[in-house]
Amino acid sequence: MRLNFNINSETKELELKTNETLLDVLRNNGYTEVKCGCNEGECGACLVLLDDKPVNSCQVLAMSVRKKEVKTVKGIGTLFSPHIIQRTFAQAGADQCGFCSPGMVIASYNLLRENPNPTYEEIVEGLDGNLCRCTGYVKIIEAVEESAELINGKK
Amino acid sequence: MFKYVNKPIEKIDGLALVTGNEKYTDDFNFDNMLYVSIMHSGFAHAVIENLDDSPARKTPGVAEVLSYKNVKQILYTTAGQGFPEPSPYDTVLFGKTMRYVGDNVCAVAAESKEIADAALKKIKVKYKRLKPLLDFEKAEGSKIIIHKDDDAFPKIPVYYDASKNMPSKVEADIGNFEEAFENSPGKIDHTFYTPYASHCALEPHASVSYIDNRGRLIIISSTQVPFHVRRIVSHITEIPISKIRVIKPRIGGGFGGKQEVLLEPIVALITWRTKRPAKLVLNRKEVFKSTRTRHQFRTNFKVGYNNDGEISAFHLDALENSGGYGSHALTVLSNAGSKTLPLLNKIENVRFTGKSVYTNLPCGGAYRGYGATEAYFGFGQVIDMICEDTKQDILEYYKKWSIKSGETSPIFKALGEGKEGVAMTITSTSLDQCIDTGAKESDWYAKKKLYGANSEMNKNNRYKKGIGMAALMQGSAIPEIDMASAYIKMNDDGSFNLNVGATDLGTGSDTILAQIASEVLDTPVEKFIVTSSDTDITPFDVGAYASSTTYLSGKAVQKCAEKIKEQILKVGAEILDSKIEDVEIEDSMVKIKSSSKGSDQEKISFEDICRYAFYQNNQFQIQATASHVSPKSPPPFAAHFAEIEVDTLTGFIKVLNYTAAVDCGTPINTTLAEGQAEGAIVNGLAYALFEDYYFTPHGKMLNDTFGKYGMFTAYDIPPITVKLIESYEESGPFGAKSISEININGALPAIANAFYNATGKRLFKAPFTPEYVLKILND
Amino acid sequence: MLPNEIQWYFPSNIKEALKLIKQPGVILHAGGTRILKTQTKSVKGLVDIGGLDLNYIHEKGKSFHIGSAVSFGEIVKFSRETDNLKMLGTALSSAASTPLRNRITIGGSLKDFPLWSNLYAPLIALDAKVNIIGSKKNIIPIEDYVASGTIKTKHIIKEIIVPSDKDLIWGVKRFTLIRFEYPLFNIAVSFKMKNEIIEDARLVITGVRGRFKRFKRAENILNGQKLNKGLIGKCEKFITPKFIADYKYSAGYKENVAKIYFKDLLSEIAGRK
Repeated sequence: MRLNFNINSETKELELKTNETLLDVLRNNGYTEVKCGCNEGECGACLVLLDDKPVNSCQVLAMSVRKKEVKTVKGIGTLFSPHIIQRTFAQAGADQCGFCSPGMVIASYNLLRENPNPTYEEIVEGLDGNLCRCTGYVKIIEAVEESAELINGKK
Repeated sequence: MFKYVNKPIEKIDGLALVTGNEKYTDDFNFDNMLYVSIMHSGFAHAVIENLDDSPARKTPGVAEVLSYKNVKQILYTTAGQGFPEPSPYDTVLFGKTMRYVGDNVCAVAAESKEIADAALKKIKVKYKRLKPLLDFEKAEGSKIIIHKDDDAFPKIPVYYDASKNMPSKVEADIGNFEEAFENSPGKIDHTFYTPYASHCALEPHASVSYIDNRGRLIIISSTQVPFHVRRIVSHITEIPISKIRVIKPRIGGGFGGKQEVLLEPIVALITWRTKRPAKLVLNRKEVFKSTRTRHQFRTNFKVGYNNDGEISAFHLDALENSGGYGSHALTVLSNAGSKTLPLLNKIENVRFTGKSVYTNLPCGGAYRGYGATEAYFGFGQVIDMICEDTKQDILEYYKKWSIKSGETSPIFKALGEGKEGVAMTITSTSLDQCIDTGAKESDWYAKKKLYGANSEMNKNNRYKKGIGMAALMQGSAIPEIDMASAYIKMNDDGSFNLNVGATDLGTGSDTILAQIASEVLDTPVEKFIVTSSDTDITPFDVGAYASSTTYLSGKAVQKCAEKIKEQILKVGAEILDSKIEDVEIEDSMVKIKSSSKGSDQEKISFEDICRYAFYQNNQFQIQATASHVSPKSPPPFAAHFAEIEVDTLTGFIKVLNYTAAVDCGTPINTTLAEGQAEGAIVNGLAYALFEDYYFTPHGKMLNDTFGKYGMFTAYDIPPITVKLIESYEESGPFGAKSISEININGALPAIANAFYNATGKRLFKAPFTPEYVLKILND
Repeated sequence: MLPNEIQWYFPSNIKEALKLIKQPGVILHAGGTRILKTQTKSVKGLVDIGGLDLNYIHEKGKSFHIGSAVSFGEIVKFSRETDNLKMLGTALSSAASTPLRNRITIGGSLKDFPLWSNLYAPLIALDAKVNIIGSKKNIIPIEDYVASGTIKTKHIIKEIIVPSDKDLIWGVKRFTLIRFEYPLFNIAVSFKMKNEIIEDARLVITGVRGRFKRFKRAENILNGQKLNKGLIGKCEKFITPKFIADYKYSAGYKENVAKIYFKDLLSEIAGRK
């Protein structure tokens, strides 16, 4: 069936079945920036913002979120208009294969919005749902710290 | 010294990755596409007596079913290696014999994944169950024969004996080990075990194929080895190579797990038969169970040494669990010896004996470190044991006995990868400085003094602290076997197309190769449009493995860029009415050498040069290709230091600090080089502390999700310090070697040595689970 | 994968919802994180609780009334911004992961009660009650909710009533090697104090045989006493968690470490000023 959803501040009619997850519905309707790493809610590659809160879209049934606002990483920043967090990630080398990056950006975006001046512990707690096998997290954490400073105008 | 190389340049695809713009294999969709589901064997050892796929075929929406009934039983190896492969041809696509839980039974292609999954369940398979062989220490000569009557054979003339369950046996013998060992006052004889592991690349294995407008088969795949894929798919499907194109888009990690031809032949056959696009994406459980793993190993070290610590006899005996099939069996086994033993090259009597065995368990394959990781566990501890026993400073010991510039080791020649190895001399090393830097950064001497099993600090303390270290080496590319090539052409705005077969897994090789070309041509990295890993468009490259991309593919790019430089100078000289000896390149321009600045007639831009060459006079396309095979494999070196705290009541090991000082020659991109080290270290830590495959008594993997297997998050990492200590490798592009594998080797020995420092006990089995640690402490 | 053509219902009151779940194969949908893992072919319909007005946290007297649709993430946030819900908030802050905590609801987790749950131990230690609407309305202590089998009946959880932890001394601890892991067990310890004397001690562990256990004999030793190291030694031998072995750990190891964890927690609490 086709139903309206609110994706990246736009109302869009998406093709879906009643038993599908938000991840499947998004990917089947062209939002391939949302990735599938495990389909168990354990890796965070499928993170989206649901009413401004990060969730694993593979664990959300699409039918239950029609009234909510869904944001993918492209709702935070795009190639031609990237968010400071995205630019900082790229500069810091926080992306290697990039598969975890959309999820990491979403988690970081949410973290810094709730807590503009996070401590190290608060950063790694905010990222506790995002797996990465390439970077060892070191440069990702640095990128979040750097982003915080830039957003707060300290640099 | 350098302008574009040895710089922290942002990846050329960085912004596209973090904004979700880059496409991975599963992001490609085609009209009329079929979705493929695979039935995996639930038995570790069984023969299919009958398979009835008619209920599936009759299901609306099902387009094709593949099984032994309609797939030619052509033997091959799944290993993505150069031809002829050093791995045995012991695999068929959908055979009758199942050799591990996860082996492929059959596949269904249907209009949707749902229909394919449902149709799969309707297929009736009758198995004859056979007794599985699940203990790799009992595999050799077992009555249970895993490759029986299947005509499996070694592709190159190496040892292969399926009747003994042995896909490989490797030996090297220098001097007279027995005699020297007998006569040694100090003797060590210890056995170590390292476990199975999964690469856990975030992107699961995926392949898509379709027929293009001219009837050729196009495969888009998450692969580290596009050219090997093309050849091996052709071999299995009997579709000519010229009719196949393999493209690697962005990949979400590989670490060796995608140096294997697993999915591509399946989608290829489906597309070729149905003429429809086909997509196969594995789920995470399938990746854990049915793809490839790190080999389980048992290593035994017999070492004879003198009272001053000098080693006179060294025997490394390795037993490798190959699983149901032998891909990478010989090469991983060989590397256990060839990437460890040369480190201490002055030992006169060195022996390596290795055996690989088949079992009815998941299959080992390529995994970052590739045998070295498994062997360093014991190697690093044995050296520590000798130093403790002879009261040596281990740092001074390594500095004294490790291989130096100008030196060689007989192991280089003795241990190759299926054929004779390649003798070589070390021409770059900063290992001594790595050791010193690591010691300084980790506060080694102060901590070593403070810690210790009987120290004031640890003695009656439930929490004991310790510090340990290990020195490491690896390799850079496979000498005389692997080849890389590059193609460059110029465009009429002064930009260039750089086409390379080299495979960027996220390592950033697209960027690094552009940096190398930039350095040669003195023009910014942004001027290079990089296309990589497309078998139609890019020239050959073996692919991303053996830590070869920077060193080997980079050298090909450097050579290619030099040829372009010559052409540019020639045109520039023509335009400036000069001799070619009188002009030089500077800042995207060609100028007359002794010209003063600001004098327009004596320089000409790249843009103008290309326009001239395209349109004006003696027109030609400025373009060049170059290939490279390396006569040697210059090792990177590293010194790793781990500081830990052991809770002696629960057995928990907490890593307090980890320091790595790494010699990769000239780091082409310092950010990316650090990133490689950091990622490898964290993976190494997880492997040391908890990664493992747990099986039922019937050989089925139990912990097949990230949550049950265990993965570090940012929350878990200790403070990690990486220092790049430069050396200059003349055979590499601008002095570069490699860095991608070596740093995964340090955690096991460094933590084990730290554990000894803290408790006075040794760890002989990885992973260091709390229960095992407690057992060691209480024994 | 849930069956195709599954039916969705979005009731606007509890009575309607209750009627719907009485039908065979129709279950409640809260955050949905467990449905995808535990329910498959048998499910015919999903009743979303989003419209049932169960998303609130009210402080009433000395208790917090937490609507069953409140997510773990919201509870953690609330507990950091207010006082007196710190024990529950602390225990839940390490559950799963940030994005999962935004979907796991307290009601859903209570009804599901997976063995690794971070939720049950603190709720039992806090003497929390659950307000359910089923064949009759009921406010049941958490322990009874499980022990009596009510958890298995068809009902809708309206809210969980959690007493304030203002006058409590408490500690929570869980067994994991790494952050993202299913804890082997969860421990919660709480003491209601009056003039430095323990009035009501609770020593709770979940993840054991029988899912959870309170060590009442140990609690009785503690009640009426001042908390000190010697007292811990006395009650130690009555802290006897029993586990089932699994493929990673033996039963003996788990029991051993659980005892050590209790001792560690009690010592840590005793050492506080």
